[in-house]
Amino acid sequence: MKYECPICGYVYDESAEGAAWESLPDSWECPVCHAPKSVFKEVKEPEPAKKESAPKPETDTALPLTAAELSAICSNLARGCEKQYMDKERALFMQLAEHYSSLIPPADGDISQLAEAVKADADAAFDEAKRAALSDGDRGAQRALVWGERVNFVLQSLIERYGENAVELEKADIWVCSVCGFIFIGEVPPEICPVCKVPSFKFERGGKMQ
Amino acid sequence: MKEYAVRNIRLCTKDCLCLYVCPTGATDTEDSIIDREKCIGCGACARACPGGAISLVPARMPPQQPKTEGVTAAMRRLALNKVKEENLARTIYNKNGSPLMAAVARSCRLTAEDIYREAGYMLPQSANARALLKEIALSSDKYAAEIAKQLMSLLPLN
Repeated sequence: MKYECPICGYVYDESAEGAAWESLPDSWECPVCHAPKSVFKEVKEPEPAKKESAPKPETDTALPLTAAELSAICSNLARGCEKQYMDKERALFMQLAEHYSSLIPPADGDISQLAEAVKADADAAFDEAKRAALSDGDRGAQRALVWGERVNFVLQSLIERYGENAVELEKADIWVCSVCGFIFIGEVPPEICPVCKVPSFKFERGGKMQ
Repeated sequence: MKEYAVRNIRLCTKDCLCLYVCPTGATDTEDSIIDREKCIGCGACARACPGGAISLVPARMPPQQPKTEGVTAAMRRLALNKVKEENLARTIYNKNGSPLMAAVARSCRLTAEDIYREAGYMLPQSANARALLKEIALSSDKYAAEIAKQLMSLLPLN
C-alpha cells in the first residue's frame, strides 16, 4: 500500500520502506514538508480512464464580473507586467485592483462558513475543474489546479486546527509563498516551497493585512 | 523578432561585464533597469553575464495559448469561490485581527490570481485583457475608466 502527502506529493511506499503504515507512530511526519501523518491519504490505483466531456457551465461567464473578481484579475495582470519589468503598467493594474477591492462589500459569515467554503472546494470545485482540464488536455490549467488544491488542503487543515482566534499564532511567524499561496508557520520559511518548489526568498511574511 | 534585454536584479552580482560589452550604454543605468529605449536587442550582455542575470524578451509577445470554454467556465467558478473566501477571511480579520485570517486571505487571492492566469488572463497584452480594459474604459466608474484608458495606450496588443 502507498500513502501520499496531500501537500508536497511525497509518497510513502510500504513495500519499499519495509515498514507498515500502521506501525509508524502518530508523531511521524512527512520527511519532505513535515505535514502530520494524519493528513496522508491512501493512494488508490487509478481507475481506467473514461473519456468524459467537460461539464456544462452552470453559470453564465459572460455576466458582469463582481468587484472581487475584477480585483483579482487586475492584481494578476499587474503581476504579469511585473514579470516583464513593465513597472508603470504594473502600478496602474494595481491601482485598479485596489480600487475594486475597496468596492467589495464586507462578507456575511464567520469562520464556520469559511471552513465550509474551503471544504466545498476540496470536495467538488477542484474536481470539476480538473475533469474539464483533463478532458480538454489543458496542462496549464491542470498545473494551477494541482497547486491550488494542495494549498486549499493546507487552508482546510490550518482552519480546522487553529480556528478563528488562533491565539497560539499571535507571536508565531506566518509565511505565505508569494507564488502559490502555501502557508507555513515557523521561524524561517522552508528552503523550497513544498507545493510549487520556489526558493525561500519567494515567501512573504504573512499575518498582517497590507 | 525584435527582442530586448532584461536584468533580474536578484541574480545580478555586479560583475559589470554587461557595461563593458553593451554597444549603446543601455545596461548602465542609475536604477539597474536596462534602458529599453537604448537596447537594440543584440544579446551581448546576456552572453557576457557570468551570473546569468540577463535574459532577452521578445518586444511583441506571441498570442496566449487558447483555452476551451469548458476549462474557462470551471476555472472562473473556482476563482469566484476563492475571491469570496478571501473576502470572508478579510472580514473576519477586520473583526478580530487573527493573523491566520490575514494569511488565508492572501493565500486565497494568490490562488485566484493563478487560476485567472489559466482562465484566459495570463498576458496583460492579450486580447482578453484588452477586451476587459475596453469594458472598464466604457463603464460608468470614471476613476477605473481613466486608468483603463491609460493602460490601453501603454500596452501593445499581441
